[in-house]
Amino acid sequence: MATAMETIKKKTVRINGCVASAQAAKYADVDVIAAYPIRPYTATMMALAQMVANGELDAEYIVADSEHSQLSIAHGASSSGARVFTGSSGVGVQFAYELYSPISGSRMPVQMMIADRTLDPPGDFGSEHTDALSTRDMGWLMGWSCDAQEAFDNHLMAFRIGEDRRVLLPQMVCQDGFFVSHITTDVELPDPGQVKEFLPPYKHPYPLDPRRPVSHGPQIMPEQGPPLQLERARAMEGCMPVIEEIHEEFARIFGRRYDAWLEEYKTDDAEIVFFLQGGHAVTARFAINHMREKGMKVGMVRLRTIRPYPTERVCETLSRFKVVGVIETNMGLGSVSSGGSLYAEAAAALYESPKRPLIMSFMAGMGGEAIVLKEFYWMAQKMIDAQKRGKIEKRTHWVGFEE
Amino acid sequence: MSYTELSVWTRGIIMDKEGRDIVNSISTSARKEGKHAQSMENYVDNPDRTNCPTRKYCRVSDTVLENELTYENDHPNIVVLVEGTMVKGWDYMRGMPPGGTLVINTHYTPEYMMRFVPGADRLAQLVCVDAAKLADHKWLYYRLGQLGLDRLSTEGAAERSKAIAPDIAAPLIAAVVKTTGIVKMETIQPMIANQKAFELALHELHILPLNPVAA
Repeated sequence: MATAMETIKKKTVRINGCVASAQAAKYADVDVIAAYPIRPYTATMMALAQMVANGELDAEYIVADSEHSQLSIAHGASSSGARVFTGSSGVGVQFAYELYSPISGSRMPVQMMIADRTLDPPGDFGSEHTDALSTRDMGWLMGWSCDAQEAFDNHLMAFRIGEDRRVLLPQMVCQDGFFVSHITTDVELPDPGQVKEFLPPYKHPYPLDPRRPVSHGPQIMPEQGPPLQLERARAMEGCMPVIEEIHEEFARIFGRRYDAWLEEYKTDDAEIVFFLQGGHAVTARFAINHMREKGMKVGMVRLRTIRPYPTERVCETLSRFKVVGVIETNMGLGSVSSGGSLYAEAAAALYESPKRPLIMSFMAGMGGEAIVLKEFYWMAQKMIDAQKRGKIEKRTHWVGFEE
Repeated sequence: MSYTELSVWTRGIIMDKEGRDIVNSISTSARKEGKHAQSMENYVDNPDRTNCPTRKYCRVSDTVLENELTYENDHPNIVVLVEGTMVKGWDYMRGMPPGGTLVINTHYTPEYMMRFVPGADRLAQLVCVDAAKLADHKWLYYRLGQLGLDRLSTEGAAERSKAIAPDIAAPLIAAVVKTTGIVKMETIQPMIANQKAFELALHELHILPLNPVAA
């Protein structure tokens, strides 16, 4: 009998983030796909349509009349016990808003792929995280990938986490529009046997079934509300060890190890760090390498999972540095920092730390503009100035609009 | 250390695959040769519409590409016009450093086409190749009905054929590779579907030498 290693048929392909997501849905052998086109995530659904048409994937492919219907279809299909894949971008994510709470409230592990797009106005294809982030408190697991391989892996892990009986929550697996969704990189596609080992067939404990009648989402009295909400909150909070466990198992089976919450890059002796999520991490690493050549003690902490928010980890990790520069790529108009929403959560996580770093917010990459090396240098300089001064000049800087 | 940018200007849907085949085959070849290379669409040109100008990019470097996430080629060393009339109307020469190469699919001579090229002083050579004739092409415009079946917009890219350069892209790739050496001929030639047009083009390029840049 051949050893396990010999029978593994992996292959490396050159694909972009959108196609990587479609591949992940195929490997996960999804039962129902609910589609409605909007750039940039469209290419995922295009690829899945081809897979279904070619007979590579046996799934119900339903084209909805809008994102609201798309998520309604996903909700219904998931209630019947199907493994469901859907997705959207930008304003499409917003149009489906009504469904996010019901889906997590009825504990349906629907998976949604998000390729970020700036919200209107005006029409802009570029990536801002505001679309998905605006739904971050709706009870969905949520995290960002920084390249196509990580997107593929995150989709598989999210299915496994969300469908775990201890969790049963929907998942938003997010990637930047263009920076991940349209950039091709080498992606290792696993052997189907590995996926089978990692991701067992999905079985919801209480699917809609006429032989075993159950009610989903009935009208309730107000006093029945608190226990239901508490259950959902407990599921969200309680899934943290499950997430870590499943990342560990993923590493065992596929050989790629991710920290469930944070990626640290050159932070060992760092005094200032960028704190960000998503595809801009790729350029940040290059910028950090160049600054390190000049002797600057700079590093990066990348948030991989924002829901549930790894409060303790963020607090412990960021407390090791002198200055934290949050790179937002999202809009939090009139928020705590008058900038983005990542600042507010990082600052709240740091509040109980006895050794709080200086923290500032950078509005960069807005509208999906690429953050180029010299902008990272500019931000680092602002952080170094703050370190010398011992206090920040101001909470929020708009990169590219200031000296 | 060398770094080369190739920008391809093509027309949406009807010649979209041609543009994609050029940048994809060259970047794949470069990676096979151990270089760092990427190819991509211009993000805001898409989803493409029939006949609208769309751009495809390729970057080849000896060192890791640190600008992988930037949208456009700011300084193209090589520009390809997949359709001849595009020579007028857009500043496809923008950002080209001295010593560049312009390749046009046309039956006209480079001497004739020169008059339409903006900022031609940056060119080391202007290359014309009658790609449609060499690929024995029943001209694309008359085949829209048929093409509609095979060709969706870039975002869909649902070609029936996975063949690389079965059509007018083959002579254009031959022109780029022969006149610039961006990749080795022996690396790229085996992956081209239309070998006949590729071979023919190697002998039927019209090259106008212009301002060489001292090495």
